[in-house]
Amino acid sequence: MSERSSRRQFFDRAGRLFGFVTLGGAAGLLATRASANAVYQVDPSKCTSCDLCRTSCVLSHSAVKAVNDFDKCGYCMLCPAYMDVMSMPDEKGVPTGLICPQDALKRRVVGTVDPDDPNNNYYEYTIDEERCDGCGKCVKACLPPAGNGSLRLEIRYDRCVECNECAIQVVCPDIAIVRLDVPGIPPPADHSVVHE
Amino acid sequence: MAPNPSEAPLPSLRERLWRRWFPPVAVLGGIATLAAAALRARPEPSPSPGREAAGTGASRTLPMAQASASSLPAAVAPADGTLARTYAPVATIGGTAAAPPFKRSLLDVALGPGDEVFAMGDGLVRQFAADGRALAQWPVTDTADCLTVASDGRVFVAGAGRVDIYGAAGARIGGFAVGDAAKPASLTAIRVLGTDVLVADASARLVWRVDAAGRVVNRIGDQQKTKAFILPNGRLDLAVAADGTVLVTDTGRHRVTFWALDGTPAGAFGKFGMADPADFVGCCNPVNLAVTLDGTIVTGEKMIPRVKVFERDGRLIGYIGPEHFDRMVTQIHLAVDSRGRILAGDPVRRTITVFAAAAAQERGDV
Amino acid sequence: MNSLTQVPAWLRRAAPIALVAAMAASSVVWAQYQKAPPDFGGSYSFPTPTHPEPKADWMHVVDVAALVTALSAGAWLVLRRRTRGGVLALSVVSLAYFGFYRQGCICPIGAIQNVTAGLVDPRYTISLGVLAFFFLPLVFALLFGRVFCGGVCALGAVQDLVLVRPVTVPEKLDRILRWGPYLYLGIAVLFAGWGLHVTLGGWQIDVGRRFLICAWDPFVSLFRISGAFHMLAIGGVFIVGGMFVGRPYCRWLCPYGGLLALASRVAWKNVSITPNKETDCGLCAGACPFGAIERLRAHRGRCVSCARCYESCPFEIERRGGPSAEVQFARLVKP
Repeated sequence: MSERSSRRQFFDRAGRLFGFVTLGGAAGLLATRASANAVYQVDPSKCTSCDLCRTSCVLSHSAVKAVNDFDKCGYCMLCPAYMDVMSMPDEKGVPTGLICPQDALKRRVVGTVDPDDPNNNYYEYTIDEERCDGCGKCVKACLPPAGNGSLRLEIRYDRCVECNECAIQVVCPDIAIVRLDVPGIPPPADHSVVHE
Repeated sequence: MAPNPSEAPLPSLRERLWRRWFPPVAVLGGIATLAAAALRARPEPSPSPGREAAGTGASRTLPMAQASASSLPAAVAPADGTLARTYAPVATIGGTAAAPPFKRSLLDVALGPGDEVFAMGDGLVRQFAADGRALAQWPVTDTADCLTVASDGRVFVAGAGRVDIYGAAGARIGGFAVGDAAKPASLTAIRVLGTDVLVADASARLVWRVDAAGRVVNRIGDQQKTKAFILPNGRLDLAVAADGTVLVTDTGRHRVTFWALDGTPAGAFGKFGMADPADFVGCCNPVNLAVTLDGTIVTGEKMIPRVKVFERDGRLIGYIGPEHFDRMVTQIHLAVDSRGRILAGDPVRRTITVFAAAAAQERGDV
Repeated sequence: MNSLTQVPAWLRRAAPIALVAAMAASSVVWAQYQKAPPDFGGSYSFPTPTHPEPKADWMHVVDVAALVTALSAGAWLVLRRRTRGGVLALSVVSLAYFGFYRQGCICPIGAIQNVTAGLVDPRYTISLGVLAFFFLPLVFALLFGRVFCGGVCALGAVQDLVLVRPVTVPEKLDRILRWGPYLYLGIAVLFAGWGLHVTLGGWQIDVGRRFLICAWDPFVSLFRISGAFHMLAIGGVFIVGGMFVGRPYCRWLCPYGGLLALASRVAWKNVSITPNKETDCGLCAGACPFGAIERLRAHRGRCVSCARCYESCPFEIERRGGPSAEVQFARLVKP
């Protein structure tokens, strides 16, 4: 009986030692490479606004929202992302149809205002994040050459639950969701096309 | 010894709570939560047209390019025979026969007094003879954006807040700064008229008339209701007609405006419209401007890239459709030579195409 | 105590510079489309864009601290106090925090994938918090057995709480199903590290690296109170099934449970039942809903440290201040 128990004790001790060594080694190896918590973000240079951001997020109201980079925005009156330029114009010549299905793109007139002629004014465009569902229609409509490309989709971290594996990243056809160690916008791809 | 169930002590209230009520409550709670989650389920996802457009092949250039091109509206061309002039491409400078001369960028095109072509790109100004032979080239600053050639052959190159003047063979013979040093002016077009230099400043949204030393003589464009042009896309282009009228694009209002040299307004034409080919499309057009020697006005547009020719009163007389240009261009560099041929520079393909008008009389339409 | 994120100081300083550089670089690229923004006149000034920050680093420290506390409390409650009530209370607290508050993510089961990806791909970054979540329960298992399963794991807590009518699973079936965790572990590690790229005749399977454990988590839809239909369905199956079968996920599927079982088999201290030759009452074996008691001994790999056996043992009841074991046995024996 004691022989059995001492043999079992030996195997137990050997097993524990092996366990600690393996775990310690693996932990040490990975700890040397550890970094801050990684987050996911949309790479605007790859995104094609395919609508999957709206439907693939684990949240029913997607954490992906459109944002407007104001330093690039043209503040156009006839913003191609705000209004459907092909739609029927009203008596002042302004198209009446809107691009955003959720009416999340809002605008207000800024700067020196001309109340008589809407064409004379600049408009600041902002996104109502309660309404925006990340479909990307405005982003697509703002792309050059129609617009300046100031609208882009972004994962908003006040909504994102920071899943271990972003469910949108799994299905994104453009591999446009990247995992970053530092929150920010991924640097854009090199757009210069060089013929050698 | 007899067990007597009736003598067994009753479980205490605490035991009853733990053991008898917790599991059913947990079960009901779990099922209720799942039901709540099911009721919060999102609506059916709509079919995603963008996925088909994105494609999977390795042959695509940039995904943004492909997505944007597929969503651009189609052009409405004028019906055949309705216009007085028909333009057709007759030559290409930097075409496909030799390797294209511009590898990364084509920033502007201008013509010299003898119809030599000056094209700026890749950090250089290149000079071509009228038949396309390369003549000279010299480097310019990397902030250079536009150029023009004076009647005496001096080349004026303008960029962020400064104008550089080059003489023969590219020797820099002078220059001056425009605007505030702290906030450099965004100069997007330049023309020379005698001793006056007209520079278009897209950040101040005005045209400055300066003298040869750079001192401001007067502003053009501030004698209007908004005191400046409306520029959503940050490009202001200008041209000078033979009679000294200054033409300036007003892209936010989709029109070409006329001014006297001292800044007095002298009219305008053009309006927004997606259907009529004589109208200007999109958010901010026309982006580019040139005038012919006989006073007709040449405009360049983006979104539906095309070049149109108008009479002074706004009648459309010529149309060069989007099939000649890359759909992704955000401007088309325009210049008109002494024979009335239009040189159109495509900044995406980095080629310069020469368009000539078939004489209207030959068609018997006019 | 160092910040758990342990990001080098130079990286912390470089981060905002990198962000600004990235934004500047993006604006340089677009410079060919847009010049400097115009002056709109009036009193307009550009609004500062808002970029909400992800979860603060200190909250990850709180998570690890909570994990250590819960593991220690579990070990103490199971092995020292030997009280079922304490373990149950701890599991409710763990369910509230790790389950409903943190919505089931981060968890050690998912951390298997992160560790696999980190070992396979040197460029894959893992935070120290995730590493702590993977390694700490295993270390505690080597020392004290599967205390994580008993009182800390939110998934286990859900299954424990819904267990109303445990049914004994036939031994032969259990023997086969017990391999489930290792099968799932192998598949999960394969997909987390490499993905699957095979061509079988006309069929081609080309799946990149996927985190299957996260995709098939049974209760995350419960914790988030939202989810796709198949996630809700899996949750429903495990809740309803868990009413009658004790801890089905833990016993037959959980890959981390498989690892814990291996560690627990050589644990230093564990739930131990000393057969008393005089009584051999077997009440503990009857109380255990998980089939972890074999021949009146707790199987160290399968015992999930729920302390139900201690609750039912007459000698433990006596030790806790109840009637003596003799009196209890007297009440049970039929005349």
